[in-house]
Amino acid sequence: MKKLLLIAGLVLSPLVQAEVAVIVHPSNAATLDADAVSKLYLGREKSFPDGSAAVPLALADGAPAAAEFNDKVLKKSASQLKAYWSKLLFTGKGTPPKEIATDAEMVKLISSNPNMIGFVDAKSVDSSVKVLLKL
Amino acid sequence: MPYQKGWIIRRASLPLLLLAVAPLTAQAEIKLNGFASIRGVQANSDGGLEPFPGYTEGEFDFKSESLFAIQAQADLAENLTATVQLYADGQKDFDLEARWAYLSYQINDQHRLSAGRFANPIFHQSEYEKVGYAHNFARLPKAVYIGFDFSTVEGMALDSQYNFGDYNLQTKLLYGAWDGETFSAVTNSWVNFGLKDIMALNVSLNKDWWTLFGGAFTAEIDGATIDSGTVFPLAANGINLALANGATAAQVNDLKSRIGWDQKDGIYWFSGFAVDYNNWLVDYEYAYWETKESSDAPNTSWYAAVGYRFGNYVVTVHHEDYAQDTDFGYLDGVTHPVLLATGKGIQTAFASREFDANGITLRYDFHPSAALKIDYLTGSDTRAAVGDYQMMSIGVDLVF
Repeated sequence: MKKLLLIAGLVLSPLVQAEVAVIVHPSNAATLDADAVSKLYLGREKSFPDGSAAVPLALADGAPAAAEFNDKVLKKSASQLKAYWSKLLFTGKGTPPKEIATDAEMVKLISSNPNMIGFVDAKSVDSSVKVLLKL
Repeated sequence: MPYQKGWIIRRASLPLLLLAVAPLTAQAEIKLNGFASIRGVQANSDGGLEPFPGYTEGEFDFKSESLFAIQAQADLAENLTATVQLYADGQKDFDLEARWAYLSYQINDQHRLSAGRFANPIFHQSEYEKVGYAHNFARLPKAVYIGFDFSTVEGMALDSQYNFGDYNLQTKLLYGAWDGETFSAVTNSWVNFGLKDIMALNVSLNKDWWTLFGGAFTAEIDGATIDSGTVFPLAANGINLALANGATAAQVNDLKSRIGWDQKDGIYWFSGFAVDYNNWLVDYEYAYWETKESSDAPNTSWYAAVGYRFGNYVVTVHHEDYAQDTDFGYLDGVTHPVLLATGKGIQTAFASREFDANGITLRYDFHPSAALKIDYLTGSDTRAAVGDYQMMSIGVDLVF
């Protein structure tokens, strides 16, 4: 039985997705659930609950955490998300979150600006940022 | 498609003004984005006439549906943005035009005010009609998205959005004007046309997997040219016959004021819904428009589409229908039988075009910014010069 579990674990492990952490500046007292985070990332809300402006940042396409975040929080594929933003961008109704190339850059930016919200692979989180949500 | 000569100078001046303003702010960040479609289309009809203006019947060509656009957006000051969209359409020999040029001020989280030249939200998807990547069709169904030339207007617009729990409500209020040319199916030619005092309201309510939408706009028709070039010539024989049969000048003038479009009210409205549930996609949109109290025939159109998404593919089948009815109420009180028959005959002529079609489209997202689309459409047009028609296309829609 143990052998079987070990084999199953080895076979399935590559399929286990990276855990994603939604992060904000340590001074940000907001508590947000996945729906509230989704609204910020889809441009439907522009502020944190305390009224301060929210600036969402996204990881660039290709980062594993980006696909995971799109799927779990925004419930859209990269193409669906691009089509969604195309409707807003080319009608003047909104601009998509700025794309950041790496987890390290994301953590650095979030740690320096209380208005920003981002997401990274949970393994990339350090004490300079606050984890709002783990997915 | 018409080449709107009267617009060229004004089209150039507004973007130049915006670009001139931009450098005044040292920190202006300019974002560049764009979209493009490269699509080969074959349109055939039994009657030999292209089913829609801008296509070449019987030939496979890349001009009818290919287009390129670049959008520049500059943050001029806090919450103040200037946007210019440069657009080149194959149907217009890829001549570059500043399709949109406007300033936007984000008043607060809910409201944004824009002024300049921007999209006219005639129907639900009109504002992004040209952005092929944004929808799953090769082209939005022509029955509703028939290609009005007043798709771009000059004026002011207020975009708002509200959240009530899980509900998201978006509204748009617009005031503007347009002048250019429009296609007359009666004469199969382009005629000068204008819309004044356009007032529009659009509403869209969304929750999770469904969206309900509706909207309307009214405008005063500037139709002196269509009257003198199309409507009155169509009535000339009838009027002469009526005069020879005892009609008075007053009766003739009365008929002309009834059949004419100039200074009459145009009304356009639409409603529908969209569903995206468990990879099933359903869309329905109904639209109606007419020039009130005139010889224009009321237009009724709709489309319904069902799609299924599997992985990077979406298959969509749809039906579309465009119908025109006659409504002779505008002739109430016309007593001279020849003039009455003339009025009825003109509206019947304007109502002579109807069409429907069934289509299937395959979309393949082979890249996060590019979609390959293949479609086949078969339909029927009541104009004898068209009759049964088919369209086939293959192409790529991009955003960048």
